[in-house]
This record gives sequence, C-alpha cells and structure tokens, in this order.
Amino acid sequence: MIRRRRETAMDLRLYWKKLKTFWKTLSLQRQMMENLIIAKARQDALQRKMEERRLRLQEEANRRFATCGTMTPEEQEQRVLYASVLEYEQDHEWPKIWKAKLKKSPNDPALVSGLIACLLSYPDHPVMKLLKRLQYRSPFKSALTHSLSDASISLSPSRDLNANDTKSEADPDDSSSLLTTDRENSFEDLEKFLTQLDWVPSHSGDDDDTDPDVTFESQIHDLEERALKEHLKAIVKDIHNAIDRLLSLCLLSFECLNTANSKDQCVASMEEVFFTPIWRPLLALFRKVHGEREQAVESSMHLYHHVSPGDVGVASKLFPRDLAVLHGSYPYESAVQELKLLCREYCPQKKLECIVRTLRIICGCAEDYRLLQENDPPPRSAAIGADDLLPILAFVALRSEMPQLVSECAALEEFIHEGYLIGEEGYCLTSLQSALTYVESMLPSGAPPPAPKPT
Amino acid sequence: MAAAGGKTYSFKVVLLGEGCVGKTSLVLRYCENKFNDKHITTLQASFLTKKLNITGKRVNLAIWDTAGQERFHALGPIYYRDSNGAILVYDVTDEDSFQKVKNWVKELRKMLGNEICLCIVGNKIDLEKERHVSVEEAEGYAESVGAKHYHTSAKLNKGIEELFLDLCKRMMETAQLEERSRGNGASNSSTGRRGVQIVDDEPQAAVPAGGCCTSG
Repeated sequence: MIRRRRETAMDLRLYWKKLKTFWKTLSLQRQMMENLIIAKARQDALQRKMEERRLRLQEEANRRFATCGTMTPEEQEQRVLYASVLEYEQDHEWPKIWKAKLKKSPNDPALVSGLIACLLSYPDHPVMKLLKRLQYRSPFKSALTHSLSDASISLSPSRDLNANDTKSEADPDDSSSLLTTDRENSFEDLEKFLTQLDWVPSHSGDDDDTDPDVTFESQIHDLEERALKEHLKAIVKDIHNAIDRLLSLCLLSFECLNTANSKDQCVASMEEVFFTPIWRPLLALFRKVHGEREQAVESSMHLYHHVSPGDVGVASKLFPRDLAVLHGSYPYESAVQELKLLCREYCPQKKLECIVRTLRIICGCAEDYRLLQENDPPPRSAAIGADDLLPILAFVALRSEMPQLVSECAALEEFIHEGYLIGEEGYCLTSLQSALTYVESMLPSGAPPPAPKPT
Repeated sequence: MAAAGGKTYSFKVVLLGEGCVGKTSLVLRYCENKFNDKHITTLQASFLTKKLNITGKRVNLAIWDTAGQERFHALGPIYYRDSNGAILVYDVTDEDSFQKVKNWVKELRKMLGNEICLCIVGNKIDLEKERHVSVEEAEGYAESVGAKHYHTSAKLNKGIEELFLDLCKRMMETAQLEERSRGNGASNSSTGRRGVQIVDDEPQAAVPAGGCCTSG
C-alpha cells in the first residue's frame, strides 16, 4: 500500500513535471505564434499599402483608358503595363526629366533619340522588361546554337500551335499577367520544333532502297513543308504582335513620342534591339522554307559566276568592253561588295537600307560606264530605267554568290514597314527579288546541268 | 476616315511597256526638274516620287518602272501588287508594242480587278507620219477595257502633264469611293496592305504646293 502510495506520489510529481514542461513548450509556442501573427500583420499592412498604391495607379491607368463595355485582353494588359509604368515613374526621376525636356522642344530628333537611348539603358523600365520577356523567353536565342542545315521536320509543332491559338482565344479572362503565355507557348513550339529538327536525321541515303515508300515519303514531305510554312507564318505574326505591343507601351510611357517622326524613330530603335538577337535563328527558319529556291539560285550562281554582264542581258553601253579601265576589278564590283554587307546586319531596316544603297551604286556605276563610252555627244541624262537596271541587278546578284539572299528578301518582305512598301525601299526590295527570280530561272529546266556557258 | 483637308494620299503607279516605247523618257520628262543637277545617288529613272497638290489635297506619287523585256515578264506580278494606277505605254509606230499592252491589261485586270486605274498611252506622236496603230483602234480598245487613252510625245513634252494629272484625279476618286464604302461597312480600322494609304497629316515644312519633285 505504502509503496503504491509512494509510487503514486512519484508519479504525480513526474506528471506535474511533465505538465510543466508541456506548459512551457505551449507558452513558448504561443509566443512564437503571436510573434508570427504580429509579423504577418506588419507584412499585411505593408502589402496593403503597396496594394493601395498599386490600385491607385491602376485606377489612374484605368482612367487613362476609360472605355465602356468589356475589355479585350490586350486592353487589360495595357492597363496593367501602364500601371507598372506609373509605379516606375514614382520611383525614378529620369522619365520626368526627359518628358520636361521634350515638352520644351518637341520633335527635336536629337532629344528623341536621346530619350530612346536612355530608355534602352534602363533594363528595369517596364518597356525594357516587356522587350526581354518577349524576346528572351522565346527560344530564338537558344535556337542560335541549333543547326538547321540537314534535318527533316515533324508535323506536331503546327498542330500544337493551333491548339494554343484556340485555347488563348477561348479564355480571355485570365489576362492580367498571363497574357504572354500563349505567345511564349508558341515560341516554345519553335524550340521544340527546332530540337526535333536536330533529332530526326534526314533520309537522304536510304531513299533508293525503299521504292514502295517513295510516294508515301513525298506525301510526308509535302505535309512537312506545309506545316513548316504554317509555322513560319505563326512566328511572323507573333513577331509583328510583339513589336506592336512594345511600341504601344513605349508611346504610353512617353506620350511625347507620339508624333509621326518620333514614332518612326521609336519603331526603328525598338526593332533594332528586338531583331538583333533573333535574326539568325529566324533566318534559319526562312531558309528551311525556301530551301529549294535557294538551291536553284545557288546552282545558277555557281554556273554563271564568271559570265560577262552582256551575257545576262546588260546593254553593251552600260559596261566597259575593255576591262583594263577597271584596274583589275570587274564591272559593278562596288555594288556587289555593298550587297554582300547585307548579311552582316541583323535588323530589317538596316538591311533594306543596304539594298537601296546597292541599287544606287548600280545607277552610279552605269552612269560612269556610259560616260566612259559616249564621250563625244554627252547624253542629256544618263539615268537608267528598269529595263537596264534589272539585268545589272541580276548580274550583281550572281556575282554576290549569296543564295541566302532569297530567304533574306522573303524575311524582309514580311517585316518591311507598310509606309516603305510603295517607297524606294519597297521598290529596291521588289527589284532584288525579281532579279533573284530571274537568276533562278536561268538554270535550264531539270537538275543543275554541267553546261558552262549561258545564252 | 474622311478625305478632308490635312490628309495625304499615297499612290503607287506602275509603268509598263516594251523596251523601246520610251516609257523611261516619259517619266523623266514628267519629273524633269530632278535631273537639272546631277544626282548620282538616286535611283534615277527606275523609281520616282512626285509630290502634288490637287484641288487642295496632297498627293504623293510613287512611280515604279518595270522591265519590259520578254524574259522578265514572269516577274511582273510582284511589281503590280498594291498598285493604284498603271500607265501602259506603246509606240504609235509599233503595232507589236500595242499588242503587248493588251497582254498587260489582261494580267492587271486579272490580278487587281477594277480597282486599278488604267492609262493606255500612245507615245511618240511626233512620228505621226509613221503611225501604225490607228487612233480609233487604240481608243476603242481602251474604252472596251475600262481604261483611258492618251497621246503623248516625250520628245516634244506633249500630253505628259495632263496624263499624270488626270490619272491622279481618277485615283483620288477611286480612293474616296473606297473610303466611303468602308465607312458604311463594319470597321475602318485596318486596310491591310492593299489599296490606298492615307497618311495622317503632320506639319511638314518642305511641302511646296504644286508639282515639285523630291528625290526618292
């Protein structure tokens, strides 16, 4: 009995002790809990303040875009972006300074380019963040390392792409920050597609052994080609959208840039930074699509590389018969050199300028050569029309030995500004494309022939 | 988009014709001022621009010359695209050049429908004595295809100013009709790459009234 009582007392003591430690732990936990709650409350308060500020700015943005009825996802996105611009401007001084400067002397091209250069140097400005988001999340960059030269493609990318398109149209409500996802997905498709290009080897070797499969294979080839073209179309559309979005955010951030001239400057700068890292993979895709044409042009260039201008139909008065006067060079060499620079540019506008310069040099050379011959009665005007220009351009294209011009031109046609389309840039691009088509057609029908001399 | 003052019309005009009909001299005459001083760095006679002021409206004309040789025929369509007008030139002393004009008319109508304003131009009327294409035949043909016919002499500078002025007026009418029909339609937002481009006005000091050339 006694023992038991003692035992109970000991037990009790033990229990009490346990209870005390438990109590201690509990209170400690409570304290910690309280601390956490306080911290959370503080954080919440801070967040509420931030959120209030954000909402205030968002409201300001909404007022700026006062529209009635439902908003498109694009409008939604613009509001969000504009709010982030306002937020940025609360924390940074430089936009205000530039705005004030431009208000004093609007349309000053030096100021405009200064502002744009300044904007480009602030990677945390919403415009630049958008640029990076559109550009670097795209796999164009990673695709730089991929080789596209000899690979066949899979059909899946374009199907995936379509699926994405319909999906993005179907749910326009989750717009706020997720707007970019469908575009990213389509860029991801390109990445997937580019890797597939690497995985699937070409069947060039074993085609001959499998005769029954030939028609099937050609069908597959057709399908692949169509898928590839569709894919390219989607990419081109994405790029146009991306540039439009960049420009509109740019003009939202700096309304002072919203004049015809400043806008042009703005577009030019934005395009230059946008295209520079993506042009090479983009061109690779164009080259894949225009592969057959390039091959034909390449064969022509190879075959007729050393023909005289007269052989491609250049009027005899437009090149010197005695090549000695050219001191070791060949007719129109300066134009050929200029055209070769085209591939060193990575921005469509710069490339177009290069083509325009090439044609102008041709006109200059033609005039010089004509004056060289007809010095007795100097012609009233040595200007040459398209009848003379096109054969010379074909000659220059042949001499350039750059079959990729076919793809470069196709890409430029997609990205030339509408305003330039009927202008000098458009005319020069069209002429170069015509000349290349002519070069392509110089090949006798069928496979590249061994015949060394043209007509 | 109303065609009120303050808008600028931009028109593209293609120039078609066989090699020796004198189409280059024709545009050179029209934009003559341009060549008074020596411009080595222009595209000279292949691509020309001209700014005009017609009944108070500003018009920017871009004239695209095309190669007339047979072997370049297949390349034509990429030049015609988006044209508002076409000037088809033949040599009145050369029946064959008139037949070529007929081919181009067919091609243009096929590609661009009735939106494009066609001008058929009999050049070299200074050589009236050697005429091989009769006035009646040419004018009858032009009427039958909805084109207008003109007689010019690049050598004597005859009929050229009238030709271009008339063409501009017709292109403006077509553009205004298109605007109106678009106004009645659903939206006037994007015209795409087709048709006339109307550029918003902007203060531009260097736009003298009347026909004056700027280098293209």
